[in-house]
Amino acid sequence: MNLPLRKRIEEVCKDCGIEEEIIIQFMKEEWIHPIDPEHNMFDDEDMARISLIEDLREEFGINDEAIPVILHLIDQLNDLHRKLSPKTGGFT
Amino acid sequence: MEDPYKVLGVSKNATLAEIKKAYRSFAKKHHPDLNPGNKEAEAKFKAVSHAFDLIGTEESKAKFDRGETDDQQRHAYEEAMKGQRARQKSYYNTQQDTGRYSDQFSEAFDTEGLFDQLFGGRGSGRTRHANHQAGEDQLYQLEVDFKEAALGTTKVITLPTGKRLEVKIPAGIEEGKKLKFKGLGGAAHGKGAAGDAYVQISIKPSEIFRRDGQDIHSEIPVSFYEALLGAEIPVPTLDGQILMKIPSGASTGSKLRLKNKGIVAGELRGNQIVTIKVVMPKNVDIAFKDEILTLSQKYPYDPRIPT
Repeated sequence: MNLPLRKRIEEVCKDCGIEEEIIIQFMKEEWIHPIDPEHNMFDDEDMARISLIEDLREEFGINDEAIPVILHLIDQLNDLHRKLSPKTGGFT
Repeated sequence: MEDPYKVLGVSKNATLAEIKKAYRSFAKKHHPDLNPGNKEAEAKFKAVSHAFDLIGTEESKAKFDRGETDDQQRHAYEEAMKGQRARQKSYYNTQQDTGRYSDQFSEAFDTEGLFDQLFGGRGSGRTRHANHQAGEDQLYQLEVDFKEAALGTTKVITLPTGKRLEVKIPAGIEEGKKLKFKGLGGAAHGKGAAGDAYVQISIKPSEIFRRDGQDIHSEIPVSFYEALLGAEIPVPTLDGQILMKIPSGASTGSKLRLKNKGIVAGELRGNQIVTIKVVMPKNVDIAFKDEILTLSQKYPYDPRIPT
């Protein structure tokens, strides 16, 4: 069984070391879409994406206008990577 | 432990700004999302992140320079250097099998797939599938104390739906174990069955105890006198403090067993292994030293000669 683990926003703040307001901002900007938006529950993917956005802003000095562009490119790259992976019958 | 200054390629006298600059430059180069699938880059990124954790702030740097870094942090660092511990899953890793984010992206260009997903395949009667969809299974996490996991307990959690759930945690439960609650997951659509809720147990590490199968290990500091003369000292166990006899002549590393003080396993129970750590007095004044010198001359012994 490989279910995504769901966490509350307070737990996500603790695990990612990020303040709640920042995560809410990411949601408002529609950079993240929590797995359960109705109850504000997040999974591993959401948390990794939050950490990635925080790395881009804090460590790489990327401004907020460029964030969605980079996320889009990264998603495109990941999608392509998955399609080409031998596991999914793509190229080796 | 590999020197975090070396890992970041800076000198011991580097300023915080220099350390941060070095860290950022490495992080940019080795970030796992910029090097998808490159294990070497991922390991390197973890190593520089931990090195930065150790010396990245004034407080942590001063602590490290004094050799006072927390054992836990040091352990995490060493594990990261061995490439065994994931600090957190990288975003790339979450997108490899069923990534929601990159899937959404993919669907925007795959109209046929989108059509299938919405209507359960092309052809007649397709909407019937969509009307009777089973609820999805949901996974939540519950953190329990080391002692609660060892001895068992009952916890009440509130699901996001507001429903309160009584979680009976069996004694001796292991990290990561999932408990199933049938029908308490996502609601079904139409006549489908409701999904199940799973609660995954995560055990808060104890500062005193460490688990090894059904046994637990702990360390007890004893004075030089207690080690030499033998003593009866209070020792923390899962059931509270008990008095334990230290035999005369105990050394650092000597192990004493407390029977049936370990993890509960059905009718049985493991043991607690207590390791002695002889601790010398912090301040040794001259008069004390003189006394010890007299004693050492009177009763000499050499621990490097095997007996």
